Amino acid sequence: MTVRPPTLRAKRRYVLARIFPSGYGPDQKDLYFAVFEAVTSLWGDSLASLIQPAVVAAGNGYAIVRCLRGMERELGIALSTVTSCSGQPVTLRSITTSGTIDSLRSRIHAVQEEAKHAEMRECTFDRRDCTVAFCEGDKVDVIEKGFKNTARFYLTTEDLEER
Amino acid sequence: MTITDACVCPYPAGDSSIRRMALEARELGFDRLVAVGVPSGEYSGLPVIEGVLISGGSAKDIAARVKRASTAGALVVVQAGENRFNRAVLGMKGVHVLTGIHAADRHAFDHVTAKMAADRRIALDISLAPLIRQRGAARQKALNRYLDILMLSRKFGFPLTLSTHARSVLEMRSVREVSALASLIGFDVADVEKALGSVDTLLAPQSSVKVIS
Repeated sequence: MTVRPPTLRAKRRYVLARIFPSGYGPDQKDLYFAVFEAVTSLWGDSLASLIQPAVVAAGNGYAIVRCLRGMERELGIALSTVTSCSGQPVTLRSITTSGTIDSLRSRIHAVQEEAKHAEMRECTFDRRDCTVAFCEGDKVDVIEKGFKNTARFYLTTEDLEER
Repeated sequence: MTITDACVCPYPAGDSSIRRMALEARELGFDRLVAVGVPSGEYSGLPVIEGVLISGGSAKDIAARVKRASTAGALVVVQAGENRFNRAVLGMKGVHVLTGIHAADRHAFDHVTAKMAADRRIALDISLAPLIRQRGAARQKALNRYLDILMLSRKFGFPLTLSTHARSVLEMRSVREVSALASLIGFDVADVEKALGSVDTLLAPQSSVKVIS
């Protein structure tokens, strides 16, 4: 099969999105299914075929989602309706849009710098024993200890009672 | 204009503390939050207004609870029900916002209730939660209901508020995302700005013009 010349190829746009909760790096395929489900359920099959969503990269705290040029708004709205990925609560916040993946690289580094894991330490929140899962500035994500309850709480350093 | 998310539900209703929600809201472009069950004040550098969400019971019960809840500075939000109930709520003193209209009956909010809301300056809340979290028929029903509300609001002039009803920081959306989601139900930029800034006018309504001779 011959490759089409650049002038005949479909023009695409790449959306860099930050994945929350911080520190969560979903599988690219799972994320694709989540994005595709969000696009199809919101816009229907006909518009989804024009958007042509695809997750071209997913890493620790970021994802690059591709669409056809001119469909960035539709993709952006659909991304804001993504609420879970393979059963895990998740949210995608678009940061920037570009015509090439290369120009998003510098922004990816900035996103990854922000998404650093905290050292595991123990704390108490509202008389519940918790383990710190993630810490970024004043933001602290903790996971409640227990066999059944492993709920994640989103707090600040002020909310914690050190042990 | 103060850009306000008209309803969030922090811990214990949700999994995020009010300080964390305030921190996120500031990063997402909001100037203020209305939080249910949290005393008014400043959290993580962001002003937070206490919201009192009243739901369930008869109109008489609601009236008693509204009277108790009308503390200084709190925003009183009542869950909508059937048409007769909504008319009763719109006639109560101290109610600021009617919410949950997307889940109510098709005839729950008509031109009569719209006129009452406009006369009494009671806002209707456009919760983005069903647009974000629900799929299929439930979301289509919400979109349909909101389109009707927007049409009535443009005709009768009652205020609207926009809220995420977030129980977690993961359910909060930026001002840009809120604006984009609101465009699904026909909001233009001016409508979004007006709705995001309407909490000010609800808490401090302009008094009617008095002619002094």
